[in-house]
Amino acid sequence: MAIKFKAALDILLPYLKKYRFRMVWIFLLVILVVSTDLVQPIIVKEAIDKHISVPHPDMGSITLMTGIYFIVVIAAFGLTYYQNILLQETGQSIIKHIRTDLFRHLQGLSLKYFDRNASGRIITNVVSDTEALNNFFTDFLANNIKSIFTLIMIIVFMFQLNIKIAAYCFLVVPLIIIISAYFQGKLRAINQEMRSRLSTVIAFLAENLAGMSIVQIFHQEKKQFREFDLRNTKLLESTMVENQLTLAYFLFTESLGDIGVAALVWFGSGPVIRGSVSFGVLYAFIGYIRRFFQPINSITMQLNVLQTMLVATERIVRTFNEKPDITEIAGAKVPAVKGGISFNATHLAYKEDNDILKGIDLEIKPGDRVGFVGASGAGKTSLMSLLARFYDPTGGSVKIDGVDIREWPLKELRQTVGIVQQDITLFAGTVLDNIRFFRKEIPATRVYEVSKMIGADDFIRRLPLGYETLLSEKGATLSFGERQLLSFARVMVFDPKILILDEATASLDSESEAVLQEAIGKVSGGRTLLVIAHRLSTVQQMDYIVVMDDGLIVEKGTHEELLKKSGHYTTLHKSGLLIEEALI
Amino acid sequence: MTNNDKAKKKSKESGWYLLWEYAREHPFIYFVSVASIGLSAILAVIIPRIIGQFTDSFKAGTLDVSGAWKYTWLVFVVGIARVSFGWIGRLLAAQHGRVITYKIREKLFKKWESLSPSYYHGHSVGDLLSHALSDVEVVRQVASMGINITVNGIFMLGAALYMMIIHMNWPLAIAGLGPLIAIPVMVRYYGPRIKEQSAKLQAALGNMSQTVEEIFGGIRTVKAFGNENVVIGRFEEKVDNIVSERIKFVKLSSIFGALVPLMASLGFVIVISYGSFLTINRTISLGDFVAFLLYLTLLRQPLEQLGNMLNVIQRSSASLGRISELLNVPPMVFDGTGKLHNSPVKGDIEVKNLTFRYPGTPVNVLKDISFTIKRGRTLGIIGPIGSGKTTLAHLMLRLYEPPAGSIFIDGVDIREFSVEHLRKSIAYVPQNGFLFSTTVLENIAFSEDKADEEKAVNSAIITAVDEDIRKFPDMYGTEIGERGVRLSGGQKQRVAIARMIYKNAPVHILDDSLSAVDTKTERLILTNMKNEKFPEIAGRSKSTIIISHRLSAVMNANEIIVLDRGRVFERGNHASLVKAGGLYARLWNMQAGISGRHGFPDDDGANRTEMLEALIDEDAQTVKIKEAEEGA
Repeated sequence: MAIKFKAALDILLPYLKKYRFRMVWIFLLVILVVSTDLVQPIIVKEAIDKHISVPHPDMGSITLMTGIYFIVVIAAFGLTYYQNILLQETGQSIIKHIRTDLFRHLQGLSLKYFDRNASGRIITNVVSDTEALNNFFTDFLANNIKSIFTLIMIIVFMFQLNIKIAAYCFLVVPLIIIISAYFQGKLRAINQEMRSRLSTVIAFLAENLAGMSIVQIFHQEKKQFREFDLRNTKLLESTMVENQLTLAYFLFTESLGDIGVAALVWFGSGPVIRGSVSFGVLYAFIGYIRRFFQPINSITMQLNVLQTMLVATERIVRTFNEKPDITEIAGAKVPAVKGGISFNATHLAYKEDNDILKGIDLEIKPGDRVGFVGASGAGKTSLMSLLARFYDPTGGSVKIDGVDIREWPLKELRQTVGIVQQDITLFAGTVLDNIRFFRKEIPATRVYEVSKMIGADDFIRRLPLGYETLLSEKGATLSFGERQLLSFARVMVFDPKILILDEATASLDSESEAVLQEAIGKVSGGRTLLVIAHRLSTVQQMDYIVVMDDGLIVEKGTHEELLKKSGHYTTLHKSGLLIEEALI
Repeated sequence: MTNNDKAKKKSKESGWYLLWEYAREHPFIYFVSVASIGLSAILAVIIPRIIGQFTDSFKAGTLDVSGAWKYTWLVFVVGIARVSFGWIGRLLAAQHGRVITYKIREKLFKKWESLSPSYYHGHSVGDLLSHALSDVEVVRQVASMGINITVNGIFMLGAALYMMIIHMNWPLAIAGLGPLIAIPVMVRYYGPRIKEQSAKLQAALGNMSQTVEEIFGGIRTVKAFGNENVVIGRFEEKVDNIVSERIKFVKLSSIFGALVPLMASLGFVIVISYGSFLTINRTISLGDFVAFLLYLTLLRQPLEQLGNMLNVIQRSSASLGRISELLNVPPMVFDGTGKLHNSPVKGDIEVKNLTFRYPGTPVNVLKDISFTIKRGRTLGIIGPIGSGKTTLAHLMLRLYEPPAGSIFIDGVDIREFSVEHLRKSIAYVPQNGFLFSTTVLENIAFSEDKADEEKAVNSAIITAVDEDIRKFPDMYGTEIGERGVRLSGGQKQRVAIARMIYKNAPVHILDDSLSAVDTKTERLILTNMKNEKFPEIAGRSKSTIIISHRLSAVMNANEIIVLDRGRVFERGNHASLVKAGGLYARLWNMQAGISGRHGFPDDDGANRTEMLEALIDEDAQTVKIKEAEEGA
């Protein structure tokens, strides 16, 4: 815990430092707020003791006391509001910085990182972990500072009022804390149990709602109901226990409050009768004893928040400590791009001692159209990933126009190499913005021009709002073929000299494939074209075909030449790996 | 509809009847609960009065040790009694509130089980789940906290007012309580606004999380375009939006959070100034004065809660309305009122001039469909997406109600079957091969309460998935899904077919359920299904309907119908359809890959034609053999 706490501080301190004056100011404000709250019983006590419960009360000074009380009340109102807003604003600014810094940092990391970490975990990191930090500022910090000050001030006031009575009160404090901690621990455990049982119910419901027709067709409604009942009953049991515990805790604190008042009456009345304590003091004590439990409760409860926050911060720190392994050489310059590619004894391994590419030598001239075939796992996609510098080769080199791509500026490189992938990613936004990838500096006319060129313009204009149509989540309103055309248009907007199609047509139906094939035919002039495909018809029209197997290039040549060789290509061909899908 | 019915319907729509019904069933419990909470509230109000009297006797100088002892005991006893009664009342209300939620969930689940697929088309699983979760949760709040807070608040306020007016001084009571009465009003005003702003904030958070998901899901694309700075900009926009929504939220909740104590304190100001004036005038005693102050402290929380409660009640009205609406959705398919046909099904199927459109839609999805399947024969149905193939299967199962006189089994209109008997007689494999996340065994044996392992294994052998299953870590005991193995598409389909076989119904319907299986396995499974190796679950006597995209699945059927836009476009057997040279023949040629595609020459086309002819011959022969067999 201590180590985690230090790690959390390390990351938060630089942000906190930026706001150190504000933090000090908020700190002072909290003290003021607590004071205005706690001074209220004191004023009433003063009024009772010095002005009301005296032989000759003076209305003037009572009015004065009322006036003071009124001012304190108004001040408490204003200060509470102001302090709250200020704290939240500061907290929000800090979280905003952490969030954007974290996101920026993640964007800078290489694909290796994203391969290793499931995207769900990364999303949790950016969304929930930072939110947990936010809770630290808005809940934990504010409430605990307040609670601790309240507690301290209550103690101070009580001792000031009467040391003896205060001392009696404090005999029971450790007991209260121990019992509170016990209950909170129990509650934490049962809450966790309850949540997990609830999610079992949800999962069961979700599945059965989705498969309800199966339940009905097999006429298993009774059986599934029994299964549901089992889970629902378990949930009921734990909510019952949770409720019993909560109420038992309520029973404990509330009775303790009342017992405290009774004890005060007993212990207090002695000194009062003897005249050593005024009645006002007793009144104030009753007020304080009732306020005593709130901060203790609040602090024990906040320990949960602290725990979550520490775990979250640890994860954030871990992310910040990740270093990108693909970096730019400072001052790199772009040659005039022609589009020639050469792989020289290129090796690539994602894991150590497990080469995916085992020494690729390949020379591709500018303007060549090359097909890549091979069983899945042969290394075709990995080879293409090297060209975009998703990864750096672990041995050998990759050159474009004779220059090692590690010496290229990353941005230029990635605009020179355009990849159309099998997985289509569209983003929430308009069709127009999707094609130009939210780069406002690219004029709409360029987008129209490209769409026309590849034959996407027609269907886009048929959409409800044409290019301004908003794409819903995952572009669900478009057909697969249309989505692939959009992602193709997106690549072409940047006019890449080297165009890579990584099984771009594999999941398309025959009609959409034909459209895309035609589009590719139109734009391939003046570009180097690399095509990975399973379909015979796609690779046949290339200038030549590269056959890969187990990380190596095993054959190279035109379709006819390769068939004549009766080598690997012929085997692939026969085994059906180069198939024409037979589906309507 | 009579007036009475209307009134009944109205009360059902409001949904409160769900709570009333329960309360009426447990009158004693609710009586005790309300009485205890009320008693507790009254006792709570007595304590300040005791303190007040204690003050007075002290002031009067009559307080001695035995007096102090008496007051101590009074405070102690009343205090403990107050807490205990409060505890009993709350416990009863809260525990039963939880039972109500439990029961409503059961009711919902039962209802869902009775609704047909058309209902699930119109409602997303997410929406339905929110009924079972948030709506039910809101109801729980009202059913448990509601009683406690309302009863407590009302009793406390009443008792305090009574004490203050009868025993003390009514102008002071009204003046002091005045600002406090504003508390519930404020809660009522700010509550919904804060909630609305909180929803906006949640939406902003959701928005960011969606953007993040999208960007990291497509990180390859982002990287491939070197587009990192653009997405950082997009992300920052969302974060800014969160900050501004959060600040709005904080402003609202802070002003509210500060106003409530302000009102309480204003009451104090009034009591201190006016009350001390009265004390000095000797209109009220010092004890009364102290008691007044204590009352104000005492009432603050219940009044705040009361205001909150009003909001909860409003919200739960909406939730109860939604739940009740759901519980009152009429089922679309139910057993007829006449005598139901319940004798064992042999498996002769006849569909006569079936025309169907979904309720509430204008277009007929099936038009004038007729066919007969004699017991033990196979019908193949092919056609493109949207041609009505699946609808046909759903009608046979009465997932939707077919028109009267259109579908007959053993010569009896299926509408005269009981739904249970009909569904027991037909085994169906749906398109997506939906499986539950239980063990493989339980999935295959889904149609029975107790799984018969041998029968399940035989079913799996028939569907050629036994070998696959034996490779799983716990074989037939392996969990499917997230916690166990993830099945491939083909494995899923084969397990789903095994589930159908296990059911051992006289009629089999396969709805495009072999699409992810290679053609060789497909043929093996279809052959096994008609094989007499495991006569207790499969064999020649089963009538079979095979719906497919892929011609290879239907080519061996006794009859094939080609559906297009709800009509029978062509019919015949494989050989006759290929010969006829229509749509089927064209599809056959395309799927077998004779023609070159999209104008690209296919130089081994000649080879393929030969192969294909051989294939057709072979199939024609199988068909002939089969026909001969069946004829015999």
